[in-house]
Amino acid sequence: MSVEKSRLFRGGRIASAVATEFVPEDVLVDGSGMIIARGKGFEVPTEAEVIDCTGCILVPGMFDVHVHAREPGQEHKETLATCSRAALAGGVTGCVLMPDTSPPVDTGNLVKSVMDLVSEQSLIPMYQAGCLTKGREGKEMAGYSGMAARRVPMLTDADHTVPCPYLMRRCMEYAKDFGVLVTSHCDTPPLSKGGAIHEGLTSYRLGLPGIPAMSQEIGIDRDIRIAQHTAGQLHISQISTAHGLKSVQIAKEEGAAITCEVSPHHLVLTDASIHDYNTHFKFDPPLRPAADVEALVQGFIDGSIDVLACDHAPHTEFEKSSEFISAPFGAAGLETAVLLIFDQFIRRGVFGWNLLIERYSNAPRKLIGQQPTAIREGEKAEFFVFDEEGQTRISSDCMHTKGPVSPFLGETLSGQIRGTTLGSRWYPVG
Amino acid sequence: MVKEIFGPQEIEDGIEELAQSIIANFPDEDVVFVGLRTRGVTLAKRVAATLQKNRHTDYPVGTLDISLYRDDFGHRGREFPSLETSELPFEIDGKRVVLFDEVIYTGRTIRAALEGLIDYGRPARIELAVLVDRGLREIPIQPDYFVLRLDTTALEYVKVRFREDDDQEDSVVLESSKSELEA
Amino acid sequence: MSELKPRKDLLDIESLDLSEIEYVLSNAVPFKQLFQRSVKKVPTLRGKTVLNLFYEPSTRTSSSFEVAAHRLSADVTNFTVSSSSVVKGESLLDTIETLQAMRSDYIVIRHKAAGVPGIVAQHTKASVVNAGDGFHAHPTQALLDAMTVREVFPEHQGRRVVIVGDILHSRVARSTSTLFHKLGIEVAYFGPGTLVPAERHDFLRRLMSWEEVFDWKPDVIYLLRVQLERQEGAFFPSIAEYHKMYGLNSLRLDRLRQMGSWLMHPGPVNRGVEITDEAMRYERSLISTQVENGIAVRMAVLHWLKPENGVDS
Repeated sequence: MSVEKSRLFRGGRIASAVATEFVPEDVLVDGSGMIIARGKGFEVPTEAEVIDCTGCILVPGMFDVHVHAREPGQEHKETLATCSRAALAGGVTGCVLMPDTSPPVDTGNLVKSVMDLVSEQSLIPMYQAGCLTKGREGKEMAGYSGMAARRVPMLTDADHTVPCPYLMRRCMEYAKDFGVLVTSHCDTPPLSKGGAIHEGLTSYRLGLPGIPAMSQEIGIDRDIRIAQHTAGQLHISQISTAHGLKSVQIAKEEGAAITCEVSPHHLVLTDASIHDYNTHFKFDPPLRPAADVEALVQGFIDGSIDVLACDHAPHTEFEKSSEFISAPFGAAGLETAVLLIFDQFIRRGVFGWNLLIERYSNAPRKLIGQQPTAIREGEKAEFFVFDEEGQTRISSDCMHTKGPVSPFLGETLSGQIRGTTLGSRWYPVG
Repeated sequence: MVKEIFGPQEIEDGIEELAQSIIANFPDEDVVFVGLRTRGVTLAKRVAATLQKNRHTDYPVGTLDISLYRDDFGHRGREFPSLETSELPFEIDGKRVVLFDEVIYTGRTIRAALEGLIDYGRPARIELAVLVDRGLREIPIQPDYFVLRLDTTALEYVKVRFREDDDQEDSVVLESSKSELEA
Repeated sequence: MSELKPRKDLLDIESLDLSEIEYVLSNAVPFKQLFQRSVKKVPTLRGKTVLNLFYEPSTRTSSSFEVAAHRLSADVTNFTVSSSSVVKGESLLDTIETLQAMRSDYIVIRHKAAGVPGIVAQHTKASVVNAGDGFHAHPTQALLDAMTVREVFPEHQGRRVVIVGDILHSRVARSTSTLFHKLGIEVAYFGPGTLVPAERHDFLRRLMSWEEVFDWKPDVIYLLRVQLERQEGAFFPSIAEYHKMYGLNSLRLDRLRQMGSWLMHPGPVNRGVEITDEAMRYERSLISTQVENGIAVRMAVLHWLKPENGVDS
């Protein structure tokens, strides 16, 4: 292993989850990747590389619990290597991998083989989630003991719900014994089947089959009841409606061990944003009307939503260039998540960096039993340098993911990620 | 630059002259008039009215919109021709048809009109009457009857105005665009 | 000459402004007049090519476009693609590239997926006419409907039209109601709650029974075709019940007759479902007028649109 030189991040201001104010201090990272000094006027080794952070802020690395890295099996869309580069470009220094690969990751051996690939290919720590049911088919329980032994961070069928409430109940009961978090893509398939966008005025106007809000809401209610009955720990992925959020709030008040996540696109876009049948706006769950978006933003602020997770779901341009109704759901999100939240909320004073760090760095790590990271002496270096005055033009050429499809292509967002440091390595962007 | 060539009196005299010569040729044939929208129709109606007054005979007047027969459809720029209906409330098979337009220039409009007319039937004979022949033909079509012949250049415009269509006195004016001349 | 912006494609009704609608509808009148002549053809589009690309079978609409193009002297290529023969792996963009190579001036397209004509239009220089895409739009149907209503009601403002049947799955209902609204014609929907979308434009009222329909005093009853397979989607219990509740039977026809209301239908009709044989012979039926006006309107549309691969400019 080559020994990296030490690195001084000079002239920046340091952001944290606990304070709204930034602290103007320099940070020194040694060759092993540890932060050995933070402050002003400390002694700096002469050979240290200086990263000029004047005018920028240093933000703890983000952690995304909802990433489809597509490997193994769909390497034409994304690989662990390209996914990790996209993550670093977006200030994300760790993530959970969804198990909806080919084959689906539903055994301990498969978890091990992906984790071996991760250690070879990925630039960042990645944690492979396991399937709730065999082959994500929703018919039989998968082998949890083997996967738990490989320390899966969660069990989930990714973008499939477990259609049968009986099976979901047994899955939650059984998973509880292994202390593994269950994550549910809450949905009611007979209601959402065939749908392409939120059922409402836009779906009427565009003549597209709708996915009613109640499809997710009934799924949320069902899974909350099952979680309460089994006293299991449930994480709800990609919450998208006001009613769904209300159910979560009530369950939390009742003391249930429920958490939920929201994506940046559900906080920023509405179903009315869909124009010209642009398939880059096709998500599951779908983009919802403004009233839902407002409720989600409120929930993000007041804490009823615990975690931000981008649902990074890259596809090739070819796959997305089909008829809206048959195009796949999802878009790449790792590289735009922080920028979007900054551009739409932080810059406009809706909330501060501390909240974003809490929801996208601390809470996701805690959710899967990891220690949060912070920029302080004795801690592993894991942060990114952000220029609030900069701008970033979102284009497929500049993105690092293999499947650069995004509803924000062609847009210029405020703010710019200058680079991310992880341990002893520094990854400048651009 | 605008130059008036004819005023109301000269136009009235010209129409009288046109009526005379049209009738002088084949006085006994079954004749119908067809005017090209818009001022060709006015010209046809004026001639018909003159003949009614002089000879107490009714000459039916039809109208023809030739937009759909133009040969420059694919060349149009930002133009959107508002189509008018053609109204030929009589059979033209075997008839002598006199076609009216106010000005003949390249001849292309008349070519289109002939094509359009033939789609309504097979006249015995078609003749062409115009108020002004301004020369510069691009197609070998000549009027059988005209009142005025002008030597013009492509940078000039000949405008015929009728009180029925233009809300002003009858006139024939020659306009030349100075800037275009310089260019 | 009207003051209009050149338009390459006709994809929906929403994006049309009033002057464009007026232009097409008034131009359709002289086109319709041509049908009275022995020679029904004009040379306007001589040398131009029209590609009739139908991914969904529809003899009526494709023949109407074909006749319209022929009467403008255009050359027509008919291309009906059954869904089974669509090659897997060929993306929509590959297909468009093939079409572009055919160098058609106009592409008339029907597709089961909403939005496809728009995608084709973005990627080709030819003028694209949407001949029906999924449940989205059918703009030439709306224009022919408007022409038909205006023929019987030259003062069409404030007239009332009830559209009856399966609104949810109907591109005709969407386009026609939008166009009628733009023209100042009031539109109401009448059909079972399962087939009338709850979220729709505010100007679209919903009537709950034939009694409410009659009380509203509509000038036109516009029946939609009811797809028999909707029964399987649990939208209503049976065809018999649908006919009983929403069908135009002789009793209801008598009420229409008393009111002097006109009858329209985009065809093809399902006799015994939305309409009885007797109603088909109703003296105020405009169904065959709609067919005739369809040709005139489609001629006016082809005459209006301006392909980018035209000669010079």
